[in-house]
Amino acid sequence: MTDTSEQLYGRRVPLAQAPAKLTGQTAVVQVGRRWRCQRCHQLAGETDRLPQNVPYCRHCLNLGRLTALTKLYTIPEPNRFRMVTDSPLTWSGQLSPRQAAAAEQVLARLKTRTSQLLWAVTGAGKTEIVYPGLAWALQQGWRVAWTSPRVDVCLELAPRLAAAFTGIPQAVLYGGQPVPYAYRQLTICTTHQLLRFDQAFDLIIVDEVDAFPLATSPLLQGALRRAQKKTGCHLYLTATPGEDLQRQIKRRRLAVTYLPLRYHGYLLPPLTVKIAWHWPDRLATGRLPRGLVRQLRAYRRRVQRFLLFVPHVADIAPVLRALARLGMTHGVGVHAADPQRTAKVQQMRDGAVDFLVTTTILERGVTFPNVMVAILGGDDPVFSTAALVQIAGRVGRHRDFPRGDVVSYCQSQTRTVRRAQRMIRQLNRRGRRLGGQA
Amino acid sequence: MRACLWCGRPIVVPVTLADIWHWGPLPTPIICRACRQRLQPIGSAKCPQCGRQQATVQRCHDCERWDDAFVNHAIFPYDAALKAYMQQYKFQGDYQLRLVMQPLIREALAREHYDVLVPIPITAATWRTRGFNQVTGWLTGQPFQQVLTVSAASKPRDQSSKTRQERLQTPQPFSLVAGAATVLAGKRVLLLDDVYTTGRTLRHAAAQISLGGAQAVTGLTLAR
Ligand SMILES: [Zn+2]
Ligand SMILES: [Zn+2]
Ligand SMILES: [Zn+2]
Repeated sequence: MTDTSEQLYGRRVPLAQAPAKLTGQTAVVQVGRRWRCQRCHQLAGETDRLPQNVPYCRHCLNLGRLTALTKLYTIPEPNRFRMVTDSPLTWSGQLSPRQAAAAEQVLARLKTRTSQLLWAVTGAGKTEIVYPGLAWALQQGWRVAWTSPRVDVCLELAPRLAAAFTGIPQAVLYGGQPVPYAYRQLTICTTHQLLRFDQAFDLIIVDEVDAFPLATSPLLQGALRRAQKKTGCHLYLTATPGEDLQRQIKRRRLAVTYLPLRYHGYLLPPLTVKIAWHWPDRLATGRLPRGLVRQLRAYRRRVQRFLLFVPHVADIAPVLRALARLGMTHGVGVHAADPQRTAKVQQMRDGAVDFLVTTTILERGVTFPNVMVAILGGDDPVFSTAALVQIAGRVGRHRDFPRGDVVSYCQSQTRTVRRAQRMIRQLNRRGRRLGGQA
Repeated sequence: MRACLWCGRPIVVPVTLADIWHWGPLPTPIICRACRQRLQPIGSAKCPQCGRQQATVQRCHDCERWDDAFVNHAIFPYDAALKAYMQQYKFQGDYQLRLVMQPLIREALAREHYDVLVPIPITAATWRTRGFNQVTGWLTGQPFQQVLTVSAASKPRDQSSKTRQERLQTPQPFSLVAGAATVLAGKRVLLLDDVYTTGRTLRHAAAQISLGGAQAVTGLTLAR
């Protein structure tokens, strides 16, 4: 078998010239009066035509344009990997008893090819919990994809998996990747890249399954479905499953493993809601809600560091000014697109500043050992249920400081806020049963 | 609700009181406000010869080096927005994006004084892969004459992947089609191209047009 065949294993690849003995499939085909792309399975718009009236697909354009004249070639996945006899897991870390129990359950379900969800709170160490199951799958000669809708998650994950499975060659795929595609047993890729695959994977691990845009994109959900072998299964990882996944769990359509406790065994801090009428109007006149002022003053007295979340970038400056009037000047504002973002986060880590006023939950893995959290306008639509739970998870990350406050100042008690409170309560109920401490 | 043709986000059309009294369907823009705001045309501060956006109105350094009389007008600076546009339209081949620039090209052509419009051609290989000429895609019924052809052999690599030095040394890639002289003789010709980078391509084309007997040749590009 040549290299070009390898390129086609379990994939749908447009080629200008047909390889020997292969027949291509038309990439954009007519269905009734419309045209459907055979890579992303979306309908082309009525007017999405090239000059000779040739339909083309705009939905997956950034993977290379497909038209009604393009042919896609594929070779069914042969699982042509070197057999691994010993466990490929070279990770030397130790799972806690609770993590090990979760890992055991995940592995047992993999052995029966059961699709499942691992619902682990932020800070539970969900990546490592998957290692024993992944090691087993690789040993069986399974082709595995570890995918996430977020490219930063993929980039952070690839070196960790390379170190944990030294003998397993991996392919890392995302838009603009510097290294060309290669046929490998372990593929780490953005969910978007799965569009190029066709019944390739025995196991697909979806990291942050609730993250944008996967949760709301039929295109990406279809990509997941088609990239998985008919005999394959998937493992979803999340800290905050959306409504739909929660419904599937409730109806017992999806097997689930809970890890409601963080690695140190403490419960999540509850989300407290305080009503702050018309806080935007107050802020416009340079004042913060009274309750918030009291909370922050108390922190200042005992030199307690904190994060103050605000809904919009435009809120950062007035909040900083209002804080300065209260004598709180040892902090900085930071937002997602801030060019000095990394430096400011580092300042907070180093203790050079005492607080951050921010719009974002910052990168995955960015943790501050001992912080309290206040949210101004937690009822604003920018804060999803998942975001609120993630924000709560920023508190008490360290073994030595496992507790803390999470207070949201809202104009009204919205559904998203109530759902976040409910999710934390639910996780803590399970955590308590496992011996978690409040 | 319509989606923005360029970024795909929904277009929100604020309805004014005047609109409510306006009978019939309201015209919906094809791109959203944010995308429109990304497109900032070149203002009055520009090079009088090549149309480049700059602080002064003096001839720019590049034009000093050419030291000739070829004049070009450009609509946009070749900034991040235009690069993103060209990436999707030309290099990814999203022919629909021609609609974004059609009204702007129409207005710009109306400001030019010319008799014959000549778009810069693409090679046969590009026709096969891209399937359209990115320049003629912007035209909406304006008459033009395809009097130039471009040979594939003399255009081995795409212009955009060359260094300035390499681009300047490119040999003449254009030739005139049979009968071009009857179209060009004594006429004011306007060349239309996508991006003016070094000016090499347009000058090669202009040289051939002049050989064809044109009285004058100028250029118009989407970006500089
Ligand atoms: Zn498609
Ligand atoms: Zn737009
Ligand atoms: Zn100039």
